[in-house]
Amino acid sequence: MFLRLISIALAALCVTACAKPAIEFDIPFVATFGGQPLACGAVDGAVQLTDLRFYVSEIYAVAADGENVPVSLVEDATWQQPGLAMIDLEDGSGACANGTPVMSRSIRGLVPAADYRGLRFVIGVPFDRNHGDPLKARPPLGDAAMHWHWRGGYKFLRAGVRTVNDGFWIHLGSTGCEGTIQNITGCSAPNRVVVELQDFNLQSDAIHVDLAKLVSKTDITDGELSDCSSGPAETACEEPFALLGLDGGSQRVFSGYAGH
Amino acid sequence: MKQAAIIGIAFLLGGIALYLVSNDEYAWRIDPDLPLPDVPADNPMSNVKVELGRWLFYDTRLSVNGTMSCATCHVQALAFTDGKPRSVGATGEIHPRSSMTLVNAAYASRLTWANQLLSRLEDQALTPLLGDNPVEMGMGGLEARIADMLRIDERYAELMPQAFPGDADPYSVLNVIRAISAFVRTIISYDAPYDHYLAGDESALSAAAVRGMELFFSERLECFHCHGGFNFTDSTTHANANVDRVGFHNNGLYNLDGEGAYPENNTGLYDMTGQRRDMGRFKAPTLRNIAVTAPYMHDGSMATLDDVIDHYARGGRLIEAGPNAGDGRRNPFKSEFIRGFELTDEERADLIAFLASLTDETVLSDLRWSDPY
Repeated sequence: MFLRLISIALAALCVTACAKPAIEFDIPFVATFGGQPLACGAVDGAVQLTDLRFYVSEIYAVAADGENVPVSLVEDATWQQPGLAMIDLEDGSGACANGTPVMSRSIRGLVPAADYRGLRFVIGVPFDRNHGDPLKARPPLGDAAMHWHWRGGYKFLRAGVRTVNDGFWIHLGSTGCEGTIQNITGCSAPNRVVVELQDFNLQSDAIHVDLAKLVSKTDITDGELSDCSSGPAETACEEPFALLGLDGGSQRVFSGYAGH
Repeated sequence: MKQAAIIGIAFLLGGIALYLVSNDEYAWRIDPDLPLPDVPADNPMSNVKVELGRWLFYDTRLSVNGTMSCATCHVQALAFTDGKPRSVGATGEIHPRSSMTLVNAAYASRLTWANQLLSRLEDQALTPLLGDNPVEMGMGGLEARIADMLRIDERYAELMPQAFPGDADPYSVLNVIRAISAFVRTIISYDAPYDHYLAGDESALSAAAVRGMELFFSERLECFHCHGGFNFTDSTTHANANVDRVGFHNNGLYNLDGEGAYPENNTGLYDMTGQRRDMGRFKAPTLRNIAVTAPYMHDGSMATLDDVIDHYARGGRLIEAGPNAGDGRRNPFKSEFIRGFELTDEERADLIAFLASLTDETVLSDLRWSDPY
């Protein structure tokens, strides 16, 4: 334990005072649909974004030797706290009726200088912070649109697309929880999405969030708006969950994109 | 030290003095035989907080378009229900479930129809105020608007600092939630004819109601297994409770596939846990004021108490046609206490007379809980 504390302290020092300089990063997230830009505003016949907000946590840069090196996020008043960032790619216009004009398009932070080849992170809120009191939480956990009051945690991801009168939306979060709100002891379906991006350049690459992948097994042309609220037994969640890697496979929705 | 001494003296003076001390200056107006409600340590009761909560409970500015307040779905004359099968939000969205009575919510060990996680009013109140699926009051994302309104309003500018002394910024959604919760906690039924009968006034119940009471508490009808205790529900708690008593029951309303399925948007506890055994399990609501809270069941699918008695007499509901067709009596997850029974017409009338004796006119009309505007 003591040794571990020392190593953590050294790592912290390293971020600010190591001989080797720290690498600054500002990695953008971009909403796409099959590689094309996706936005809330109305475009004739095209797929529109209705929502895209999510939490990013457990962020590691993956070194050439395979080591996962934790990054330090730059704290700010709205979007980032230690170990947790919120991305908001909707601007409240057009079909994003439940949204807000403010956006958060990137994660910003520092990592000790080294040869990095990849990035890994989780779409979700760490357990301790997920089940605290939302009205006392610090940003970005004070957002009522992201708290799932009756499930006792946060929506890790809100996403949706629609055409004229069709579409799909998902609210992703932990379910099957036990205990009572403010005293939740565990959840049978944590539903945290693990994203691993190989050959990813921290300083020049972007992350595409391709909602065409998310709905690739969902019929969005049957004339009905379908939805998944992460209910443990919701059939409309099965395919999207698999595409998010929640069936034990790899997620398909987030990918690295060279140059931005 | 001083506080300890006061509590010590209060102990000597007996239970009433004790609760006056332990709950600030707020004095519960309830039957002295009733246990006190459990109050969260971070939201103690006070008279000014309850008064503030009453104004907020009836304030339509707490909805996105100014069309509804808490009281829209919780009407005092209807024992704080709304008379609709399913409630309607500020923007017209229809909730899958029926508005529950707020009477004796202070004694509910779990809140709403089927959520094992929700034990405090302060947690529950967030959903109608801020939730967006469905939209109820629709204030999610508009917290700053609420804070601005509270600061500008003369009444709130006076009451909020008094209700939350020592709070650097009392004009918060958190404090709105706390005040409304404190107000709702005071809505306690103790003045029904049945209560007077229990207190020794034998004239409070008709002969028919007494016969109905005996039927209600009989092993033949089995009603009391789920609707037992002073609050007529097995999900009851109070300040002295040392066991977490929670009951969710499948009462055989549906059986869509012959394997126990309930309609997809209303599967009860199953929606929370995903455990097959939880299919169709809902909380047994209190039966206090049940005669004025029609329609019945979590989805308002029964119009009258006669329908409800028919359902339990049959041991589950048969729906012969339509998307929800199925024989609820054969639902494999049905409670073992719902076995069916036969009733004469006179017995049925007696049972309904007893249920009507649980109507507390004080709760339905007392100005303490009425619209102050």
